[in-house]
Amino acid sequence: MKLFALALTALLPCLAASSDADSGKALGSPSAPIRIEVFSDFECPACKGLHEQILPLVMKDYVIPGKVFLVSREFPLAMHRYSREAASYATAAARFGKYEQVADTLFKNQVAWAASGKVWDTVAGVLTPAEAKKVLLLAKDPSVMSEVERDVEAGKAAGINQTPTMIVTRGTSRFPVAGAVNYNLLRSMLDGLLK
Amino acid sequence: MVSSSRVFRIAALALRVLLGAVFVYAAWAKLRQPWELFAMSIDAYKVLPYWAVVAVARTLPWAEMLIGLALMAGRWPRVSAGAASLLLMVFFALMVRAYAKRMQIDCGCFGLGDPISARTLARDGALLAGCLFLTWTSFRGRRKPA
Repeated sequence: MKLFALALTALLPCLAASSDADSGKALGSPSAPIRIEVFSDFECPACKGLHEQILPLVMKDYVIPGKVFLVSREFPLAMHRYSREAASYATAAARFGKYEQVADTLFKNQVAWAASGKVWDTVAGVLTPAEAKKVLLLAKDPSVMSEVERDVEAGKAAGINQTPTMIVTRGTSRFPVAGAVNYNLLRSMLDGLLK
Repeated sequence: MVSSSRVFRIAALALRVLLGAVFVYAAWAKLRQPWELFAMSIDAYKVLPYWAVVAVARTLPWAEMLIGLALMAGRWPRVSAGAASLLLMVFFALMVRAYAKRMQIDCGCFGLGDPISARTLARDGALLAGCLFLTWTSFRGRRKPA
């Protein structure tokens, strides 16, 4: 919920024209000096840690002040049985601005749905009946499935082989940050890039 | 006819230059990125406190560069080969530990995007064997005949 509240604040500048901003998976100002693309898998424990512990701090310190433009990308790993289904629901929900709520609940209840396979029940819990109907329809839409696939292909093209991986871009420099991250080090790096 | 000792010396020279180049490349791969990225790789092993992670991340690439250049130039052969072996022994032990604990982390050897696997262990094991051989030859070469 904390991330959702921060996300709402940060989403406002996102109305500017940008394909990433339009996708409903981006937070902050597209004109921010640093861009971070987060490739994650809803079933990966380290991604849960990044989403729940590190990203709220990045939101507060960098996204809301307009220093970082944060884009979520799907990278469901083949070893995880339900992560592609989860990615489809989240991407579908992004079409009407509900990505963060769905992502929050998927990570919060990760252990339960990863064991039971009840991904939909988890997602539906944060949607109204009308939204739930929309997500179910959209999740089967070829454009949503191809959006997930595009994220995966973009990740592979960037050489990503584990989740979570953040691609930090400042100008023409791109730096992949893989795995669990120490926020002090990430903050030091972002501050260095902003100088 | 080329004597076996000459072949041995040429092989040792080639190995020394090769290992030196590997160390220089490893250092360059880390130095061209913000130091925090290497620090994150070290931190992922979960063996050092934060202050030590920062200290190692800021100094180790320069040490690797120095060792690599010394190996390639043939300066201080025993010290450079010994230091290279010692460093690789530490790296290899940490990697084996991480692999045994099934930690899904980057090895941090040549920058990012190099997760620890059987392949990285084989590669670093081969480098360590080469360094140990080089250390042995550097001491053997300096031993005075009885």
